[in-house]
Amino acid sequence: MSEGEGEFLKVSGLDVAYGGIRALHSVSLRVDRREIVAVIGANGAGKSTLLKAIAGVLRPESGELSFEGSSLPRQSYQAVRRGVTLVPEGRRIFASLSVQENLALGAYACPDRSAVRAALERVYGLFPVLAARKGQQGGTLSGGEQQMLAIGRALMSGPRILLLDEPSLGLAPLIVDLLFDTIAALNDESGLAILLVEQNATMALELCDRAYVLESGAMRLEGKGEELLADPRVRESYLGVGA
Amino acid sequence: MILFMQQLVNGLSIGAVYALLAVGYALVYSVYNFTNWAFDAFMVVGAFAAYYCITLFGLPLPVAIGLAMLVTAGVAVSVEVGAYRPLRVRQAPRLFMMISAMGASMAIVNIVNLAFGGSFRKFPEISSASVELGGVYIGRMDLFAIVFSFVSLSALWLLLGKTRIGLGIRASAIDTVTAGLMGINNNSVAIIVFGVSGVLSAIAGVFFGAKYAVYPYLGLVTTKAMIASIIGGIGSLPGAVVGSLLLGVIETFVSAYISSVYRDLISFTILVLVLLFFPNGIMGAKTVDKL
Repeated sequence: MSEGEGEFLKVSGLDVAYGGIRALHSVSLRVDRREIVAVIGANGAGKSTLLKAIAGVLRPESGELSFEGSSLPRQSYQAVRRGVTLVPEGRRIFASLSVQENLALGAYACPDRSAVRAALERVYGLFPVLAARKGQQGGTLSGGEQQMLAIGRALMSGPRILLLDEPSLGLAPLIVDLLFDTIAALNDESGLAILLVEQNATMALELCDRAYVLESGAMRLEGKGEELLADPRVRESYLGVGA
Repeated sequence: MILFMQQLVNGLSIGAVYALLAVGYALVYSVYNFTNWAFDAFMVVGAFAAYYCITLFGLPLPVAIGLAMLVTAGVAVSVEVGAYRPLRVRQAPRLFMMISAMGASMAIVNIVNLAFGGSFRKFPEISSASVELGGVYIGRMDLFAIVFSFVSLSALWLLLGKTRIGLGIRASAIDTVTAGLMGINNNSVAIIVFGVSGVLSAIAGVFFGAKYAVYPYLGLVTTKAMIASIIGGIGSLPGAVVGSLLLGVIETFVSAYISSVYRDLISFTILVLVLLFFPNGIMGAKTVDKL
């Protein structure tokens, strides 16, 4: 099998529960190489849980998680080393560490110093504001800058697929546009696959190739982004437009 | 004046021993948010290991200290893997961790007591000459304790501040889950943290044993290191050092100029006053910055 063929990220029959309360029921999804896939759904539908389970932060009760044909490790630090990197909800910046230290942590598992330096230059090129603030503590950045730092930090690990959990949360529309442009450019230029979870359904559906609708922990719909944008059920429930 | 200087050096040397232990407490607390009550046992293991390296095998002191560090680091890592990790994995409340630590401590101290006996042993090097500095006589062991503690704490500072592993430990201290997302294996971090704190307690055990005596319950002095780390600000490494030196010097002056009977009374009074007026300690860690 050559590069560019075969399975990429595949989730099948995933069940996750928190202390007896079931958060995901038999959820299946796939992301192909170079694809942007969005998962939309209401608050509490299980979107974050899905990403956490893929990234190894949560242990699923049952189900299969595979990446490039072999099963994903169940520990988050190993998943990162396989190229599956989560940008967590709420950004989770190391507030008391500098911007540069936060970025260095993203490349923690990479032993090649020159590769780390090159990755750092790339992130600073992508987000010049981070370069200007590299000595500043992460906690002093604005929300938008922190989200850039969180994405930059994830890129430092040299991911094959980026899992983005609510990147637009709490940010001004202008910043959200900028972030979504950057995400699209990352996918376009380097072929980085992206699995995006969003409450901002319109933007997510416009950006993505394919999307899933998650409702109360189960997959309800699947389709191309533009199809779902036009789907009356989606328009009514998630886009705030009458059918 | 000479008495004053003499007492100051004595105070700093005992303070240096407290500092090694207090930094161990602060390090473990900053990463795992619990007080490792087993440091007394680590200290005892270090003191006994060095004592027998010297008396049974005739090794020179630096070699004996080196071996004691290795043995104690091994014991500390075993306690982490056997007594703490299983609880951490199950996300047990930190009270359970403290109880587990007490159990580990009692088990180790009593094993040492059974295996080697409870008698008080005198460290062979202790009688050796003292150094004269401008009329002040400084015990060689005191000087050695100050220098050795300073060097090892500086090494720890460099490890935490300047290395990749140190950055990983700091990240783990701030947010374990996110550290995992960075590719940091939190279990490896725990092994390093406990190994390092084992090394620090071994050094403390050797110098405390050399200053007083080697016996299975010498670890009781860790109470003082606890006080020092609370005075300094719990979880703060620089605070632990400052608190320890302060406490060591104050105790020595109280013993010299008032009476050694009041020494512990004063130590605990200071603890109560600090807790009343500076609940976060004199160099109290801010909520975001624990290391």
